[in-house]
Amino acid sequence: MNLCAILALFALTTPSWGKDLEAFPNLNLNDPGSVKEATRVLEEELKLAARPHTYVLIDLVGKTIHIKGRGVELHHMPLVQWSVGSWEKLTGVHRLVARPQVVRRKIEPGKGDEQEPISLTDMPADYDLSFASGLTINVAPLAEKGNLVQGIAFMGKAWWRRLKNWTSTIGTGQPSSSAAQLEITVSVDHAQSLAWSLVDGMAVLIRRSADR
Amino acid sequence: MSRVLLAGAAVTFLIVLVATAPDTRPVASTSPQVVHRSGVQDGPGLRALQARYKTLSKRLSQLKPSQPYILVDTARNRLYVKRQGEVVLDAIASTGSGTILDKPGDDTSQWIFDTPRGEFLVQSKLTKPTWIKPDWAFIEEGLGVPKNADERAEQGVLGDYALGFGKGYFIHGTLYTRLLGKNVTHGCIRLNDTDLKGVYTLARVGTPIMIF
Repeated sequence: MNLCAILALFALTTPSWGKDLEAFPNLNLNDPGSVKEATRVLEEELKLAARPHTYVLIDLVGKTIHIKGRGVELHHMPLVQWSVGSWEKLTGVHRLVARPQVVRRKIEPGKGDEQEPISLTDMPADYDLSFASGLTINVAPLAEKGNLVQGIAFMGKAWWRRLKNWTSTIGTGQPSSSAAQLEITVSVDHAQSLAWSLVDGMAVLIRRSADR
Repeated sequence: MSRVLLAGAAVTFLIVLVATAPDTRPVASTSPQVVHRSGVQDGPGLRALQARYKTLSKRLSQLKPSQPYILVDTARNRLYVKRQGEVVLDAIASTGSGTILDKPGDDTSQWIFDTPRGEFLVQSKLTKPTWIKPDWAFIEEGLGVPKNADERAEQGVLGDYALGFGKGYFIHGTLYTRLLGKNVTHGCIRLNDTDLKGVYTLARVGTPIMIF
């Protein structure tokens, strides 16, 4: 057996490991909590990736929303910021009840060519996503720079949600069901892009982070 | 001969050392730590977690298609053929318009002209395809639906090739190349002649098509 054969045999039998194989390249492998969380998400993702469906991974550590299928990243978009009510309720696979509503144009027979198709700009940018698990994700678009009215409107909405949760908690003595809530802020384009890509019943996974 | 064997053993030993060395990547300052401490401390517990994470990452990586696959971005009207994550073909496409058309004589039913999202497989590869016009094609034009099947057949409108991916949806050519890049179809995916030929050549029956 010559040297080449030995090396070739070794290369074939030794498990390779590189950055390209890592599911989360930004993972701090020296932090047990981070590794445990990444492992939890991977266990869930493996079940989803084994089936012929696309799914969404919201990575709060990497501040990115990934649309994936078979473990392949189909598209990703950056998260500007996020906040969360309850950590525990973010675990598991969340099934989207219904994708955001879009106003579809109706074709008038005989005038097919005159109908405007829907496009990304028709999609909502400020919407709530409800999941079968009870989780709600509030998607808010980033206020344009200098747009004071828009900024105040978004802040008002966020405060209103918090006030509703607070009053509900006071009234019932129980934590509000809407505490299972994740608020994410993305650019207008990305909010519309996300709304476009979602389908009813789509699975969503969330990788949690300590950075609230 | 013994020198060669000795050299081979030395190289093998060095590779084993490198392959099994613990990960000593520095903690990324931008990577926040997860708050959910599991009680896992540094040492054997952490190493077991790291090993589990690496195993799961590898398993996820193995689910990715090893053969070329087709990726369709319906929001931006792009079609890609990828192999091992690398783009081998990048095409401007036309996908579903998202418009609706009422079914005559049925107040509760309508056609929705979306390109389906999710994972599909190339089920058929056709050359010189004939379009068998469905009911909606006549109704949209304000025409009556023919009773004779022969009146549905139309030659030359789908281009030189068509790749079927189920339920009557195809990747095919178009006479309306000026509309490429827009959401104008009834759910099929249109390409120009050159890109269509490229996709037809690269794809086989069974090639995955991921649409989002």
